[in-house]
Amino acid sequence: MRRNAIIATAALGALVVAGCSSGGSSSSSGTAATKSCVATIGMEGPLTGPVPFLGQEQLHFAQLAVLKDNLANHTKITLVQGDTQLNPAQATTVTQQFTSNPKIVATVGPAGSQEVIAVGPLMARAGMAFISGSATAVALTTGKYPTFFRTVSKDSVQGPQDANYIVKNLHPKALMIVDDQEAYSTGLVSAMVPVFQSAGIKVDHESVSQKVTDFSSLVAKVTPTTTVVVLPWQVAANAQQFGRNLAQQHKKALIFGTDGLYDPKSFTIGGSYVSTFGPDITAIPADAPIAAAAKAKYGSFGTFGPPTYAATHVIDQAIAAVCKSGQTPSRANVLAAIKKTDEPATILGQPIKFDSHGDVVNGKFFLFKIDSSGKYQLIPSG
Amino acid sequence: MAFFFQELVNGITTGALYALVALGFTMVYGVLQLLNFAHGDLYMVGAYVGFFVIQWFGGPAKLTIPVPLLLVIMFVLAAGLVGGLGVAIERFAYRPLRNAPRIAPLITAIGVSFFLENSALLLFGAQTRIYNTPEFISFSGGIQIGSVSIDAVQILVLVLGLVLMAGLQLLVNRTNLGKQMRAVAADREAAEMLGINVNFTIAATFFIGSALAGIAGVMGGLLFNQVTAMIGFIAGLKAFTAAVVGGIGSIPGAMLGGLLLGVAESFITGYISSTYTNLFVFALLIAVMLVRPTGLLGRAQLQKV
Repeated sequence: MRRNAIIATAALGALVVAGCSSGGSSSSSGTAATKSCVATIGMEGPLTGPVPFLGQEQLHFAQLAVLKDNLANHTKITLVQGDTQLNPAQATTVTQQFTSNPKIVATVGPAGSQEVIAVGPLMARAGMAFISGSATAVALTTGKYPTFFRTVSKDSVQGPQDANYIVKNLHPKALMIVDDQEAYSTGLVSAMVPVFQSAGIKVDHESVSQKVTDFSSLVAKVTPTTTVVVLPWQVAANAQQFGRNLAQQHKKALIFGTDGLYDPKSFTIGGSYVSTFGPDITAIPADAPIAAAAKAKYGSFGTFGPPTYAATHVIDQAIAAVCKSGQTPSRANVLAAIKKTDEPATILGQPIKFDSHGDVVNGKFFLFKIDSSGKYQLIPSG
Repeated sequence: MAFFFQELVNGITTGALYALVALGFTMVYGVLQLLNFAHGDLYMVGAYVGFFVIQWFGGPAKLTIPVPLLLVIMFVLAAGLVGGLGVAIERFAYRPLRNAPRIAPLITAIGVSFFLENSALLLFGAQTRIYNTPEFISFSGGIQIGSVSIDAVQILVLVLGLVLMAGLQLLVNRTNLGKQMRAVAADREAAEMLGINVNFTIAATFFIGSALAGIAGVMGGLLFNQVTAMIGFIAGLKAFTAAVVGGIGSIPGAMLGGLLLGVAESFITGYISSTYTNLFVFALLIAVMLVRPTGLLGRAQLQKV
């Protein structure tokens, strides 16, 4: 325990040094902001419910970003957390609490596309910027939610990219694709199915609720010619059960999952593929101090935390910029500053700049294959 | 044809689970006319008990005791602890309201459900707990008939489910306790006047119903591999539906309702589409209720005026 604390302190110290030495402008903005740069930001995530590993990881990385940015920018930003349970109704309640709290100037999250759809109008009415590190549905950035931003790319990029990978590398004659009846999942399915159909692949499109945990009836429909099952799901434990049902009925189909299935603790079916919006930051040399700090403070992590770290960092930098210009952070000026974000180097190993609808410009996806021991290996997705 | 039988096996297995949970629902309704909405959460507690037993004995990959012994301990502990929890809930949450208007215990039941869910969140955390059944019960231990697979866990669930249902029928119809339960269900005041210890009988009913839910929870963990604090909601909803379709208050009705629900879900998923499973299943159930409002094996109650 004590050793972990020492490692965490050392890593945070390294972060501060890195932050202070990354450019003269950061240091000077910090000095200007010292006296009165106080602000509160909200953090919405599924801290409990069906995917708490995801929400907890996002929360930890948001806390880490605030800690690091406060030290580097000399700001006093505090984080208020709200548990959405990946449930649009719960996300709405949390958002109402946040928007009615005048201290909160911007929000990190929520995690799911279905939640963004639910809270988007409330956030727009309150004029509050909100940045998700995991919501990827295409519909979110068509202009309906003017205060929404995301640090990850969208389904219209991921869907065709994944579908093309399956067509070119896995060569299925028939496949099953199962949505989980949430906006995230149905959006990805809509982007993938046309690619499969145009490649002449027979597609069996099925649909099950996220709350279902028995897939034996569905697995019985996997025919011997069905060599791939695509699961664009948010709950990794469900995919694990699907894989077990496949093995139970002696079916040989491979599972190809997306984002939510990146959970090395819960989804370990050997031979499966997982495509995700987040990189493995332990493989990015520049991220070593952050990765070390996160591991020492919170233990092992996956790909959900870093995009949320990036989202929090964008807000932190916007608040610091507002203070530097001599203003007091408010929802309006923080929103305006976020729109001007232009971070050349981020934790994601790529720049962050938003287009006019809140999408990150040139966002990427990453592909992993699970080996026979359950380990995730990054593979080329092209 | 193989596909038909595979779906039938899948449906009966899931249905046996629904039936076991539905039995507790229907027994409690029988003696107290109370819809115990906390019943699904007892299933959740049972699943957690099973999970922790696996952990206590070294975890799924490194068990320190033989698997049959582990299973016995899991089922016995889940039945005992969850049965005891059911008795405590009856004693402290429902008994004080026994003579209150019917809405009061109904709301209390919903409150108890939330209390159990949130207590589980607090005690066991929000993360999904994984049984990892295949690491200690191999799929190869099952039966393969042509291309129809029935794995060892499915066989265990089916056999144990049927044994428990048959045992419960015997208990209710052939023992003194069963007679007392039927007497209390028929007329509580008259039963009391005849010298039956009503409090004990109701507590025993709660114990048996809750123990069955606890056993079903372990079965669910073994079958579906995952446990969270929220799994009781769906289990409770399905069990309630099964109990109502079978005829609430009727023990054979709960068994029939559970099995029908499981098989209907399985066949609709297999032959129509998983997208519309709930739509077709509940349409079918509404049709059953329209034809027989008291459920398939329920009896209309005569009101004396």
